[in-house]
Formats: sequence, structure tokens, C-alpha cells
Amino acid sequence: MIKNWTTIFIYHIKNNKLFTALNILGLSIGIAGLIFAILYWNDEQSYNDWNPGKDTVFQVLVDIGEERVWTNAPVTFEPLLKDDANIEKMMYCENWYESPLYKYNGKKIIIEKLFNSQNNFFDFFPFEFVKGNPKTALQNENSIAMKEETAALFFGTENPIGKQIQYEDQFLTVTAVYKITQNSSIAPDAVVNNMKPRIDRDKTSWGNFNNGWYIKLKDPSKAGEISKKLTSIYYQNKTIKDAKAEGITPKEFESKYGKFNFFLEPLSISRLHTQGQGSPEGKGNYQFLLIMSGLSILILVLSIVNYINLATANAIRRAKEVGVRKIVGASKTEIIKQFLFETVITVLSSILLALAIVELSLPYYNEFLDKTLIIYGNQFYLQIILIFIITVIFAGVFPAIYVSNFETLKVLKGNFGRNKSGVWLRNGMLILQFSIASFFIIGSYIVYEQVHYLSTKSLGFSGSQVLEIFYFKPEAVFKAKNPEQLIFDRYTTIKNELSKIKGVQQVTTGAFRFGGGNDSSSGFSYKGNNIQGQNLAVDFGMLEMMKIEMAQGRYLNPKIASDTINSMMVNEAALKIMNEKNPIGKIVDWNDHKLKIIGVVKDFSLFSPQGKVPPMVFFHFKTVDWMIGNINHIYVKLEAENTEQTIGAIEKFWTAKVDSDYPFHYDFIDKSYMRTYKTYVKQKNLFSLLNVIVIMIALFGLFALASYSIERRMKEIAIRKTLGAETNALLKELSKQYIIFSLIGFLIALFPVYYLLNRWLENFANRIDISIYPFIIGFAALLSLTLLVVLSKAYQATRVDVLKYLKYE
Amino acid sequence: MIQIKNLSKVFRTEEVETKALSEVSLTINQGDFVSIMGSSGSGKSTLLNIVGLLDSASGGSYELLNQEMIGLKEKQKSKARKENIGFIFQNFNLIDELSVYDNIELPLIYNNVPSSERKQKVETIAEKLNISHRLKHYPQQLSGGQQQRVAVARALINDPKIILADEPTGNLDSKNGNEVMELLTDLHANGATIMMVTHSDYDASFSQRTINMKDGAVISEKVNQRNVDVFKV
Repeated sequence: MIKNWTTIFIYHIKNNKLFTALNILGLSIGIAGLIFAILYWNDEQSYNDWNPGKDTVFQVLVDIGEERVWTNAPVTFEPLLKDDANIEKMMYCENWYESPLYKYNGKKIIIEKLFNSQNNFFDFFPFEFVKGNPKTALQNENSIAMKEETAALFFGTENPIGKQIQYEDQFLTVTAVYKITQNSSIAPDAVVNNMKPRIDRDKTSWGNFNNGWYIKLKDPSKAGEISKKLTSIYYQNKTIKDAKAEGITPKEFESKYGKFNFFLEPLSISRLHTQGQGSPEGKGNYQFLLIMSGLSILILVLSIVNYINLATANAIRRAKEVGVRKIVGASKTEIIKQFLFETVITVLSSILLALAIVELSLPYYNEFLDKTLIIYGNQFYLQIILIFIITVIFAGVFPAIYVSNFETLKVLKGNFGRNKSGVWLRNGMLILQFSIASFFIIGSYIVYEQVHYLSTKSLGFSGSQVLEIFYFKPEAVFKAKNPEQLIFDRYTTIKNELSKIKGVQQVTTGAFRFGGGNDSSSGFSYKGNNIQGQNLAVDFGMLEMMKIEMAQGRYLNPKIASDTINSMMVNEAALKIMNEKNPIGKIVDWNDHKLKIIGVVKDFSLFSPQGKVPPMVFFHFKTVDWMIGNINHIYVKLEAENTEQTIGAIEKFWTAKVDSDYPFHYDFIDKSYMRTYKTYVKQKNLFSLLNVIVIMIALFGLFALASYSIERRMKEIAIRKTLGAETNALLKELSKQYIIFSLIGFLIALFPVYYLLNRWLENFANRIDISIYPFIIGFAALLSLTLLVVLSKAYQATRVDVLKYLKYE
Repeated sequence: MIQIKNLSKVFRTEEVETKALSEVSLTINQGDFVSIMGSSGSGKSTLLNIVGLLDSASGGSYELLNQEMIGLKEKQKSKARKENIGFIFQNFNLIDELSVYDNIELPLIYNNVPSSERKQKVETIAEKLNISHRLKHYPQQLSGGQQQRVAVARALINDPKIILADEPTGNLDSKNGNEVMELLTDLHANGATIMMVTHSDYDASFSQRTINMKDGAVISEKVNQRNVDVFKV
């Protein structure tokens, strides 16, 4: 039986090479899309999945209102929580990676992801230990535990345990080697325990939110109680006390400075659903993941629809075979089995082809997602089997039942080619395809418009020809008596030297990065309004160099002595909250400084073009000297000519005079800023790519269906021709229904595309409004592609020999 | 009305060359009712198809209303066809998806007849052929005889100069077949020009002239006596 089925199947493949190939290709593209989505999905969902504490380990986050959540917390709670029976363990950590440079045996190696944590880190993230003991690995501040790969970098094949590496003037002993095999929201290259000085410094300061805080609970279901307890402890120890000191009620204090709500977030959701800024490994883009998955499912649906359409249309050609089989004794079930058999083979080949497509394009996909996905894992193979079963069910069962229901007698008497059964279903599916295609065409146009808008939007500053150079400050500086003075003096020296290099126009700095933001924010109160301003300390000339304009007042001026003592500027967003009509000359009480407003800076997009501009406060470094510690970059404006030579000269100077250890690291601001909306550029590219795929599949489906449908109508065409129909009249007749279908499909897509794209646009504070153009263009594109396919097919039909159809049907 | 001189038609496949028509000459005058008979492969259908401009000749001359038809472009053929020729087929060739009314109306649409006029014409001819009560039905719902009457109505709706009938009774029982033949006779009596291909001597006897064909050539031609009314069933 199988042999017989196979023979027939191969016969049909041979006779319909093009359609078979396109059908398998369509299906495999659909499946490949889904595989890509699954790989991404599995990877994102697998974060912390390996961690036995994923449901019992919580990070403490602080909701400070206005949709802002801090991932750092004070370290003052510990004594007050000692008696809580539900808390098993607590751990403070630095919550972010550092990238210090270490020396060993003359080698200089930067550990990209060094994590600083208390000694019980491995109770929270129990990585597999290759060497050493997790309990004692981080016993003191001279210990370092390394990931396998890191250890290999330093020591090659030697045993790392007991070896010493040097960081500035400090020596660290390797105590353990661990390996990380699966995704973890903290996945450091090495871990040190250098938390003591940080904790000691903040031990009594309820206002210092400087460290990450993890808690392991015995009963995770009672996490809510702990959250309440933390919030209440903070209220008792900070809000009430400070309010008292200021002579106002706690309520007034909260409305003035904000209300702090502490809450616990388990590791299991920290990747995709965190309310904070994410862990050191970053946070997953759940929305993008959903978009990806949704679109790929849509494409699979499209290709399955395609398959069903072709299969049922093709089945009519095979009606006679089915009829004969029935007469010689085949039951309905056997016919169904036969056609399912064919689908199984087709789907199998499609999956294999899809896997090949995925394997070949995986490197590009990885680059696209910044990931290192591989085709691997039991879960993945199970999912593939699931896809296989689902595809076979949807693509195979319907056509098989359809075929098995052919009425034997009708079929054998002939005239079955014009059978109308299934036409409605096929047309319905065609309409569905048209809607999916419309959705993609319109959607990708809107996405394109928004991304285009972001990339051409006026940012309020100009980063053209401005270089940002990473400025490393050794730890020794901070241990000195007057670190600020040292850093600023060193910066001034570098600035003077750089200015002498040919091609350098201007050198200056600010405690912030374009596209990266700043590290410092302070709340202050003005006329009873609470303003949480971003602190932007600058050197003279910074705003002018970046072409950031003033709305009122003036820039900071080196010739005016008070500008390094008590002058400040605010931006328009801050001014709006301050509710001050004549800000110039007004005094602001800012962190115990009395600062005078000398200017209002026009809003500019420091963080990203899509976000809202937050309130900002500007002053000179010397005015608030602790901000000097936040100088991380030096900004250099270059002449337009000989840029490369100038950069070469800067690098030469830098490595010789400034920093011989750390590599010279620079970027053009234009380029680095573009990364802030990289995700959206990627989404645009993804949408465009999928758009092409969808249109291809849909057009192919349309082509095939139009071919079958026109073939079915050949006799009608012949009769009309005999009666004197001219080619134009016939073309009109044949394409009419497809125009109607594409219109219906388009109309069906309207609402979903409008709704979903509006949701997507809500990501952006600066967004376009959906205009009518994407719809007009979408419809025009859909219609012209449809006509192109249908008319070419129909024109062919009008050229045929009418006699053939008048005679033999 | 129709002047055919030395008309040839050759079918070529890779291996064989078949002469479907060889040097056929034939004249049909206004008001003639001509039958063409012959066994399968004699070339009678090919001749009819060339006359109906559905097929092209390989050589010779074919004048329809004093206009040479051989070598015309598709568009001109289509024009000549829709203005002058009405077809009746053995298998009716109605469009199943269209109602009887729509089927009959079709040639008028292709001849750009205004819609009000179309309606009137369709109704008139339907009445004449006794199918008025069937106008809203679809071909599949009618008997064979009714279907052929619809086909005749469609062939006549445009007042063609000549009616070409390709075995019009071939798919009908004798009763319905007779009805159709009577219909054609009536049309002829009212001045229509008819060219009919048939297998049946009986049907041929309704016509004025019978042309016998064999192997692509006319072998005999005889004038019929109209004495058949006696056998009317």
C-alpha cells in the first residue's frame, strides 16, 4: 500500500515540479520563521530556569512613583530583619559588572564582567564548581572566583587555585573555578567580595540607595508580607524622622519628596517581566519577543493556508484517481490515510529544509539579536515534533477529508473539474491571506515611518564630529585625600594636551553620556513642587560644543567667577514642574547648596529619541565637586578634514601619556547615540524582511490559486470567447473576484493593524500619528501585486485554443 | 454569404502530418440550410470551426459577407464572430455559474447593447422559445432539451447572419432532438441561414442541402426533399 501511495505521490511531484517546490518552500519558510522565534523564546525563557532558587530568591526593588523603579536599596535594614523567620539569607552586591584590568605574569587582561558581591553569592547563584568550595570561595576581600574560561585566559592549562593576580596595588588569590552552562541573570566572568567598604560607608544612611539586595525566603508565598514590612521599616526610620526634622507631617513629606514602596521580585521573572532596569545581563524585551512569536505564527498560518488551498485545488485534478480507488474498494479512511501520508512527507521535507535554512542563517540571526543561539536541546526537539504534528493536522487533515468525500459517481462521469465544492473555503482562505499580507504591508510601513521619524527627529543637540573617549580613573585616585581635585586636575592637563593636537577643535566634558544618560539624580523642592532632576555637571563649553540651545538666560562663562560657585541652569522640562515664570536670578535650594538660575536650557534628548525628556539640572563641576567622580568620558570635537589622522594622533598621545594599560576606547557620538534606538531599527528591519517573505508566500499562493481557479473556468472562458468576448472583457471578468477578495482582506486587516501598531507606538514618547498614507500605499501595493499576478495568469488563459475546451468537456 | 475556396487545414505533430481539410470549396447563400455529414475524422467539425472563426485554416480562402477571414487578427475575428455568427453546440456549452437569463444576455453584453434593450430582447426570445418560466434557473436545473433551447436562444439573441450548429441533437433524446430540429426549421423558414454538422441522416433531412465529407474533402452534395413532416412525432 505504502509503495502504491509513494508511486502516485512521486508521479504528482514529477508532474507538478514547480508547485511542489514552491509549496514545500513556502511551508519551510513558515516553519523556519517559527523555529527562529522558538529559539529566541527558549533562550529568553530559560533565564534562571536552572537555578534551584528561582522562586525563593528575590531582588528588592523600590518603586519611587511616576513609573520609576530603583534596583538599588539602602543597606540599613539588616539589624531590623534579624528575627524574621521567613528570611533565610540576604546578600548585598554591586548590582552591575565592572571591567577592571588585571595583571598576571606580565599579561594584562580585562575581566569584562566582574561582579562584586558578599561572600554568600554562590548560595544565590549556585553555579557548578569545577575547583574549590562554594562555601569558602569568597571568604575574604582578596579572594576571587573565576569562570572556567576566565581562568583559562590567565593560566592556560595550569591549576588556577592559589594563583595570585594583581589589580592596581592589590593582589587577589584564585579560590575557585566555576562554570556557567545556562542562562543566568547574573553570569559573571569572575566574582570578588569587596562589599565591606561599601556597606560600612552606607551602614547608617537610609537615604543612600547604592547596592543591590537579594533575599532568599523560606516561604516565597509570603513575599508580599516582607515587601510590606520593608516599606514600613523605611517609613518609620526615614520618612517619619526626616519629616519631623523638617517640621512637617510625614504625609506632606511624602508628597514633597515622593513615597517609597519596597517590593520583592523573584528571579524567575527577572529576565522578561522585571519592573526594574534589569539585571547585569540585561533585561529581555518581552514585547519584542511577543512580536517575533506573533509574526512568525502568522507566517506559519499563512503558509499552512497556502498549503491547504493548493492541496484542495490540486485534489480536484486527482478526483478521478480517488473515484477509481473507491470503486476498487478503498474506504474513506484509507483515502484520508493516503492523503495524510502525502502531507506527512511534505511536512517532513519542509521541516528538514526549514532546519537547513535556520542553520545557515543562524549567524545573521544571532548578530541581529546579539545572542549566541544554537539549535540544541531536548525541549527544542520536542517543540519541532509539536510543530510537525500541528502542521500535519492543520495542513493535512482538512484536504484529506475533503478529498475522501468526493462522490464516486460524479467524479467518474467527468465534469468534476468544475465542481464548486470547497470554493468558498478556498476563497475564504485567500481572503485571510490577503489580510495577513495587508497587515504586514501596512504595519511595516508604519514601523518604517516611526523609525524614520526617530532617526531624523531634531534631538536638540548635534553630535557631528564629536568624539567621546572613555576616561578611566584608577581606584587609587579615590583612596587619595582629595580625589576630586586629582581627577579634575588630570582632566585639565589632558584637555590642554589634546587641544594642542592638530585637527582638534575643542575639548570638554560632562558627567553624562549622549544615549547613555547620567549616573546621578537628585530631588529638590521649589515652590512646594518636587523635582527629581538629572544632575548634569559640565565643564565650560560643553553645551555650546554640542549645539544645545538656551531658551532663556546664558551659558556658563569661565569669565564669571560665580559660575563655578553657585550658578545653575535648568532645562525646560524642569522649569515646567517648577512652575516659575521668571526663573532667571531665582535661588534654588539644591542638596544644601543655594544655587542661582542663570539660564534655561532647551530640552534635548540625552537618553534616547523615543523617550520623554526628564527634568535636568546643570552646573559646573566645581560648583558641586563630588560630581567630578562621575566624569567617565572626555568629549573632543574634531575638524572635518583628516579625521582619521587626528584620531590617530589622539590615540598615540593617549596610550603614551594618559593610560598605557586600558585600551584607547572612543566612539563618535552620532554613532553611539544611534544605538539607543537600535532595537527599533532592528524591529523595522525584521518587519521589512518578514514583509518580503509574507508577500512572497501570499503572492505564490495567489498565483497557484488563480491558476487552478482559471483552469477550472477555462470552459467558461472558451464559451465567452466564442460569444465574442474580447480579451479586455475577459481579463476584467477573471480578475474581478480577486480585486474584491483583496479589498475584503484589506478591510479585515484594518482594525488589527491600527490597534496593534498604535499599541507599539505607545512605546515612544515621541511618536508619529498613524496617517492615512500607510493604508493607501498598502492597498495600492496589495492591489497592484494582485493584479500583476492575476492578469498575467488570465492573459495566458485568454490566449488558449477555445476548441479544446468546447469539445472535450 | 459564405464563399470557401480551396480551404485546407493541416495538423502537425512531431511525427505525423494530418490533413483535416484538403482543398474544400463551398458556397452558402443567404437563407440556406446546409447539413454537413461524414464519419468521425472526415473534417466536418474542422470546417464548421473555421467557418465559425474558432479555428484557423492552413490555406485557401474564406469569405464571410464578402470579407476575407483568413489571416485576420484575433480582435477582428472576435468582432466578426460576435456580430455575425451564432453557435449551437452538441453539449450546449452554457455557463453553469450563470442563470438562463444571464447566459442568453451574454452576447448582447459583448455587443455593447444597452441594458434596457437587453432585457426586452431576452424576454422576447425566451417567450419565442418557450423558456420564459426558466429564466431564473441555472442550466443544471434544466432538462437537456431545455438547455439546448437556451443555447439556441443565446445563438439567436444577436440576430446573427448565420447560425452554426455542431450536432445540436447529439446529446438529446429523440423527442427533444426533434423539437430542436423543428426550431431550426422554423428559423430557416423565417429566413435564417444555417450550417449544421450532424451524424444523423434524419436530422440532415430537415435541411435543404446535405454535403458529405470524407478524409477532409467534399465527396457529394445532394438537395433534400422536404417530405419529412409526415414522421413528426
